Amino acid sequence: MSPRWRTWRLAGIAAAAALLAAAATSAALARSGGTRTSSASDTLVDGTTDSVTNIDPANEYDYGTFTLDLLIFQGLYGFPHSSKLEPVLATGCKTKGTAATWVCTLRRNVKFSDGTPMTSADVKWSFDRVVKIKGDQGIYALLSNLKSVSTNGPYSVTFHLKSPQSTWPFILATNAGYVVPKSLYPADKIRDNSQSQVGSGPYELVKYTPGQQAVFKANPNFWGPKPKTENLIINYYSKSSTMKLALQRGEIDMAFRDFTPTELTSLKTASGITVHSGNGVVIRYLVFNPTRPPTNNIAVRKAIAYLFPRQTIASRVYHGFVQPLYSMVPAGLPGHIDAFKTVYGASPSVAKARAVLKAAGVKTPVAIDIWWTPSHYGDASADEYAEIQRALNSSGLFKVTLKSAEWAQYSASPGKRYNAFQLGWFPDYPDAEDYIVPFYQPDNFMANGYNDPKMTALIKKEYAATSTPARLGVIKQAQMLAAKDVPIIPYWQGKMVAVSRNNVHGIDSTLDAAFNMRFWLLSKS
Amino acid sequence: MAGQGTSLRVYLITRIALVLPMVFILLTFVFLLMRVAPGDPISASLGGHVPQPVINQIKHQLGFDKPLYVQYGNYLWDILRGNFGSTITDRRPVSDIILTNGAATLELTFFAMIVAVVVGVLVGLVAGRYRDTPLDVGGRLFGIVVYATPVFFLGLMAQLLFGSTLGWLPTSDRASPITQATLQTHTNIFTLDAIIDGNWGDLGDVVLHLILPATTLGLVTAGVFIRLIRVNVIRTLRDDYIEAARARGIGERAVVYRHAFKNALVPVITVVGLTTAGLLGGAVLTETTFNWPGIGHELVLYLENRDYTAVQGIIVVFGLVVVAVSVIIDFVNAFIDPRIRY
Amino acid sequence: MAAPAELRTPLPVSRVLWRGTRRMLAPVAGAGGFAKVMLLVGAGITAFFVLVALLAPVISPYAFDQYSSGGHRFAQLAAPSSGHPMGTTVQSTDVLARVIWGTQTELKVVVVSLAFALAVGVPLGLVSGYFSGPLDRALVLLMDALYAFPYLLLAIVIAFLLSNSIGKGVLTAAIAISGAYIPLYFRVVRNHVISLREEPYVEAARALGARPFTVIRRYVFYNVVQNVPPIATLNAADAILTLAALGFLGYGIQPTEAAEWGYDIQRAVSDAASGIWWTGLFPGLAIVLLVTGLTLLGEGLNETINPVLRRRAVAKFELPAVPPSADIVEP
Repeated sequence: MSPRWRTWRLAGIAAAAALLAAAATSAALARSGGTRTSSASDTLVDGTTDSVTNIDPANEYDYGTFTLDLLIFQGLYGFPHSSKLEPVLATGCKTKGTAATWVCTLRRNVKFSDGTPMTSADVKWSFDRVVKIKGDQGIYALLSNLKSVSTNGPYSVTFHLKSPQSTWPFILATNAGYVVPKSLYPADKIRDNSQSQVGSGPYELVKYTPGQQAVFKANPNFWGPKPKTENLIINYYSKSSTMKLALQRGEIDMAFRDFTPTELTSLKTASGITVHSGNGVVIRYLVFNPTRPPTNNIAVRKAIAYLFPRQTIASRVYHGFVQPLYSMVPAGLPGHIDAFKTVYGASPSVAKARAVLKAAGVKTPVAIDIWWTPSHYGDASADEYAEIQRALNSSGLFKVTLKSAEWAQYSASPGKRYNAFQLGWFPDYPDAEDYIVPFYQPDNFMANGYNDPKMTALIKKEYAATSTPARLGVIKQAQMLAAKDVPIIPYWQGKMVAVSRNNVHGIDSTLDAAFNMRFWLLSKS
Repeated sequence: MAGQGTSLRVYLITRIALVLPMVFILLTFVFLLMRVAPGDPISASLGGHVPQPVINQIKHQLGFDKPLYVQYGNYLWDILRGNFGSTITDRRPVSDIILTNGAATLELTFFAMIVAVVVGVLVGLVAGRYRDTPLDVGGRLFGIVVYATPVFFLGLMAQLLFGSTLGWLPTSDRASPITQATLQTHTNIFTLDAIIDGNWGDLGDVVLHLILPATTLGLVTAGVFIRLIRVNVIRTLRDDYIEAARARGIGERAVVYRHAFKNALVPVITVVGLTTAGLLGGAVLTETTFNWPGIGHELVLYLENRDYTAVQGIIVVFGLVVVAVSVIIDFVNAFIDPRIRY
Repeated sequence: MAAPAELRTPLPVSRVLWRGTRRMLAPVAGAGGFAKVMLLVGAGITAFFVLVALLAPVISPYAFDQYSSGGHRFAQLAAPSSGHPMGTTVQSTDVLARVIWGTQTELKVVVVSLAFALAVGVPLGLVSGYFSGPLDRALVLLMDALYAFPYLLLAIVIAFLLSNSIGKGVLTAAIAISGAYIPLYFRVVRNHVISLREEPYVEAARALGARPFTVIRRYVFYNVVQNVPPIATLNAADAILTLAALGFLGYGIQPTEAAEWGYDIQRAVSDAASGIWWTGLFPGLAIVLLVTGLTLLGEGLNETINPVLRRRAVAKFELPAVPPSADIVEP
């Protein structure tokens, strides 16, 4: 062959060899460099499949953004240690006259992470801007009962409500109540994710790469105890299986939200890994439209309630990571009663379902379409609804056709288009009120057309209640009425689950009904 | 016989002039598709916990209830000024998405194409040269089977084998979390950034993370190249000038290496160019499997949320890139082969 | 001058089809070498899958969504065993049954999508190529713009649009997939028609007064359509990969309506990360095998029909022995 060709060949081989050598050396370097691995004990790396919208608290209303904001912002009230509501940036709030006026005393010596001190001006500014901006994520709806905010000196704030609300401090603990520095956050627009975000929380946000990573460092100006781990990284994943492999390889130290039940079961037996679970407040429920056939016939709804396979779903589909739920108000919250168990029994009963249908003269099998959504609530939704279909069909009383639609199509006023459909809920605040009011009023967000004047009256009574025992009493009545009317069937309550490598400590203390992942309490050994 | 003999300049002008209507059609097509598709971005993010009146109010605020032609007019006017807008769900400027996620896809595509071209050319050349021998049969079967394997399936097997069972390679992301947090980004192409800073440890980490996704995507693409190159080699080897070279007594090796191969590779350039442009948007499956934050992956996520601005902006930019690449390639081809002009 | 009788009376359709088919398949009989092997192996694999699809109700041990038998629920995610040769899924359904029934789904989608793409792309290409003019320019622009659109995303968006009106079924998936291939058929057919238009025999037919559609039908169509089978089989192979991709991304067929391999692999991804290999491996292998079969068939057809690549099986020709006395020329 020609000499030129030979030279080219030799050059090619040499180049390939050089590349390989370079790759090998750099790989070796990467492995040996101690500071490059995630085993550094001053950095905790967490993985999640949640995503983030706007970090500015005036325009975020999803759990992924909430988890991030919780680290850098704080409100007047919160759940800093447990599911017990406690004052955080306030030292206390009291009603003045009626529960339509709340006076709060602010904590002194609180500084934002940029060193500026927090005063009542910042608090008023923060609330005013949420209401003014009316951000498209809709968080301002939580402040719908707020008439105005006034300050009384640098350490006192008064909230004037439209109507009395004894649960107002819970609202102060939601994302709508986070306090931001007046000097940085505009009164009429959102501060973009590309700009720095400053709050008074235990961490400060050092770097944010959308869809990939959020990097935090302990806030040097924090008024409270220092976080147990100096640096925190949250890594965002789109698939839980990739996150699982990363956790098992040690690329991340822990993962919070969301693994599939199969993955969780496998992680339970994986070496070097612990699955932590605690009481949770996320619920799953089936909604009916009680104004259209076949679901307008209460006998049909009751029959489905009698047949509902809660235990099968909890054990076969979710492998014990959820527990059967017998009321819209989850177990663990004050005021919860197992209303559906009382009315329909703890386990499915074909005989009772048949009896109620026969008594109402309904011809069986009843044809019904049940809708669900494939990815928004996790892949296991498919299995969940397959079990519901199996239970209803095998009784011989129903002929269920399952239908699904992607979340973007599914979610807007589903009650207008579907007669029976799946929904899930995580609370704005962990109180029974937030599990009754949004669902059982005539203009609810599901648009299912439910309208029972008795229920509407009960809700009004709950708002006006002056003592906690009275309020909880009304809530119990509402739950029983909800079970008898059965426009919605609640069926499971999820545990709060986090998975970590064995060298991460403190997770168990943060798994409670407040549903806050308190990263500042976690440490690595 | 229309068009034979037109000058190169006229061809170029005609070709570029045709780009404008094409882009216009693409813009309109995207706009209509997004509006016609059921669901809208506000309901997508707020449905499920916010009442309908609030959703309606927000839609009104953002101008989604204006008549379609008004929205269309605003859309075109913005694009003409180069303003691709910001996404609705997280207010990210679309240009930021193109630059950061586009860079990630570019990096992946570049290395995948290297693998694809090396494997494809080698196997294709050998298969074409030794036609109908076991080498040819083996090469072709390899190409066919590799192309028949869905890239997410291949990726999954690779992740399990090399990441989980053997533990040699990382299975997701562009770099380890700490590397990603500390790397200085200049171009957002991590390999380049690490080299610019002389950061060899980080470079090694980034390269390790590139191996599985680039090889998976590259192998599947190589399947196409193998077939193409092989066919071209065969075709070229039958050409008259090859016969002439053989008749003149030039050794078979020289005939094959010097004449046939070089000419067989020319049309391949077209395909490589177009495939690269296509991969930029179409590497969705690889990006999803390996959690690679590329532009195809972002597009699918925004599509799920009916984020009009994001989807429109990304698709339009992508369309422009493909159009630009095909114009360049047509031009190069016309330059080389005068028969192809209009 | 009137056209000769033969050009005036149309032939019966059956004869036309028979003649056309024979003409098209003629090269296959004469082919040789590896091309023929590929063609036969590819045809064999494809035929096998078609058989499985047709006989699914008979050969499948269970229905695709069957989760119990004889009052006994199947185990969940059970490894392959004698009762379930390919194991069970997370919904306690049998993997083998789902692979078999999935064959039906895949082939249904492929056939519908091919038919749709051909029915739209080929006539448009014929008309556009033959008549040229402004219609041609507009169509070319439109098709090029469609071509610039990433094909998978086009399929996803079409699936969105259609799923609202006709549901997430086979028809939706098929139309979504075919949308990406119409520009390809259009282009190929149009380019070929343009070059054929200048052929002497076509010019002659036009000179003799044949109407345009007669010319297209008789002379252009058969030549052009010879291009189609190899492209169609490769198109079919691609359609299966696209369907699997749609299923993997979650935009495919409603899982309760039919078994589909792409959806099964998507569910299997989380299983695989937990050491459960059978739910993903078998559907994956099925895809690889079917696509390989179709590709071999397509490649084989390409090699036998495409004259550039064709290698005739040349029979050895023996020169007759020359008698020793006859070849010496006497001076």
